[in-house]
Amino acid sequence: MFSAFFRAIWTICRKDLTIWSRQPTNIAATVLPPLAFLLIEALGAAAVGHSPVALVVQDHGPKGQQMAQIFQQANVFKLQQTDAQHAQQLFNNLDVVAIVTIPADFTQQVQIHNPSPVIVRVNNLNLDFTNDIRRSVPDVITQFYQAQGPGSPIKVTPHEQDLRAQDIELFQFNVLPTIVLLLTISGLVTTGLAAGREWETLTIKEMLISPATNASIIIGKVLAGFLTTFGLGLLVLGLGYALDWTRPEGIYWLSTLLIMALIALFSSGLGIMIGAFVQRIQAVTAVAINVALYLFFLSGGISVLAFEPDWLQNVGAFIPLTYGTHALQMAVFYQSSDQLGRDILILTISTLVALSLGTLAMRRGIRA
Amino acid sequence: MFEALTYNLRVIWACARKDIRTALTERVFTIIGIFLPLNFLILLSLFVLAGSNVPTAVVMQDRGPYAQQLYTSMSHAHSFRLIPASAADASAMYNAGKIVSIVTIPANFDQRVQQNQPVQVNVQINNLNTDFTYDIRRAVPLSITTFYSKAFPNLVTVTPKEIDSYSQDTDYIPYLAVSILVVSLVVGGLLQSGTAGAREWERETMKELLLSPASRMAITVGKMLGAFIISLASTLLILVVLVLFIGIYPAHWGEVIGFTLLILAIVITLGTLLGTLIKKRQAVTALSLGTSIPLFFLSGAFGPISFTTPAIQVIAQIFPVYYAIVLQQHAFHNFMTNTLGIGTNVLILCGYGVLFIILATIVLRRSTVNH
Repeated sequence: MFSAFFRAIWTICRKDLTIWSRQPTNIAATVLPPLAFLLIEALGAAAVGHSPVALVVQDHGPKGQQMAQIFQQANVFKLQQTDAQHAQQLFNNLDVVAIVTIPADFTQQVQIHNPSPVIVRVNNLNLDFTNDIRRSVPDVITQFYQAQGPGSPIKVTPHEQDLRAQDIELFQFNVLPTIVLLLTISGLVTTGLAAGREWETLTIKEMLISPATNASIIIGKVLAGFLTTFGLGLLVLGLGYALDWTRPEGIYWLSTLLIMALIALFSSGLGIMIGAFVQRIQAVTAVAINVALYLFFLSGGISVLAFEPDWLQNVGAFIPLTYGTHALQMAVFYQSSDQLGRDILILTISTLVALSLGTLAMRRGIRA
Repeated sequence: MFEALTYNLRVIWACARKDIRTALTERVFTIIGIFLPLNFLILLSLFVLAGSNVPTAVVMQDRGPYAQQLYTSMSHAHSFRLIPASAADASAMYNAGKIVSIVTIPANFDQRVQQNQPVQVNVQINNLNTDFTYDIRRAVPLSITTFYSKAFPNLVTVTPKEIDSYSQDTDYIPYLAVSILVVSLVVGGLLQSGTAGAREWERETMKELLLSPASRMAITVGKMLGAFIISLASTLLILVVLVLFIGIYPAHWGEVIGFTLLILAIVITLGTLLGTLIKKRQAVTALSLGTSIPLFFLSGAFGPISFTTPAIQVIAQIFPVYYAIVLQQHAFHNFMTNTLGIGTNVLILCGYGVLFIILATIVLRRSTVNH
């Protein structure tokens, strides 16, 4: 009895896996976008927080030169020191966001304690870049005063205490949400299609008149979706590991894999539900991808949910992916099991609910 | 000659009408297709809700005038969403991950500043990622220097003097929403035209079309016209939301309408090419939706691509989405985000359109149907 049950599960699973593997275009369409996204993030990472700026030093006095040197060393710009004419050309060609000019009388004005402005001409077409400049230039001026040591008129200094031992680069930080997105889209689409296809091609009839039980049909389909989804997730995690972006250590490998498995199972269960409800391949793809995108973005997407507005945080609290992303970030980046129990519990419950709903939807569909 | 033209026009219209009717029979997919661009607008806008203002608790252990002035400087630093709090509340919010940092102004702040003695402002940072962490690391010293330049103008004389190119800044949402509009047009157009193209192959109705005396160019153009008309519904929807609900009023209405129709037409040609090439609706749908997010990040959605890395600049210029974003930014905000000029950007887009039509026709001409 049991062996027949498991044989039915394995047969259905193998059949769905075979169909999946014979659709390389679909596999590519699932895998390529997250990989492309990671590549773009990595290629663009160098520009984050380093706006291109032209520096024009008209003052040859000691203070002007010191300021210029601090600008060069500040590591807050992609700096190009040049003359006024070339700087204007770069500015007009949109090669730089701003021109910073240290005026000819800068040293003289500083020495006699007169107002000594550093001229910043900024292309304020975009608040993101403009604010970056607005923060970075005063940052350099602060460093200019700090360089004066005890003689600096600025006696207030920040004393920084970091919560975590190391900083995580933005593109590294975005790898895990990308894996979560992949797991969600793949799980929803693969199992959704596997279920929807049976109705569209009317093969559900054969399955129903076969001796296989409803439970074995559903479990077999979820298992196939889970295996492909989890496999793709492992592929991207492995890629991140090879590039030294995502490297869980020791016991945290276990929690990383467990969380990924739970997300894959959750999305597969949800996929069955969508497939059984919609029953049309074309509509299943569109609905599944939409649902995946909503789940992903409402759980914070690639930003940090905790720093979003309260209403979005409240919505995010009801999205299981929020907990999956949190647990993965803690395990992979910070070697921490902070709130791991809560995250696993919520993901497990959500997975069970998704599987139950999927089962109900499938049964309802089968009866219909 | 005239008869041939009339015949081709009749074929084009018949193909377009047939595709519109077929789309209307697939109600779920068509409705999703129409609302999908709007979904994109909503979801991608979530990115910028937090903006660059980092939630920060300020613990004022000293409430003297200098401490208040420092707080004011922080509030003008273009960096913080300040939350005044007690030490205990700040700590609770920090531990719950609700804020990125705690800035503590010590009890003897005013006294020490007045006496010109060193004083430390404690800054606790939840350094989750460098994006937020760099903002804090730059903004706290900026606030301190601004505070000094206001409180002691004779001591701190070096200040930035800003000259802006435009009379007002363009905020995150208005800038990004225009980029999102373009990506939404891309997704909507690709989806409609790609699936319409692939449907004929999947259902093998392409046999009849290929065996008919209709020219392949007329069939291709007809299919494009059908997808174009359906996509207009979602385009209209998203423009209404953008203008009436988000409140982004275009600087040049004529350009908005013209560029939108041009972009849609080009995307439709690309979708038709993809549908004819891939021949599977499911793959076309997944590809259209899946490529949209990477394309969005790649094509200068957040700012001119010349401000990013050379690698991104090179890749972005391969795709028409980049030129489309440049044109729509001009239409809505009256500024150019590249130096090519409007005419050249339009010409490049038209070039892509012609290329896609030719490729789609070639692919269709070389295609055969399995028996």
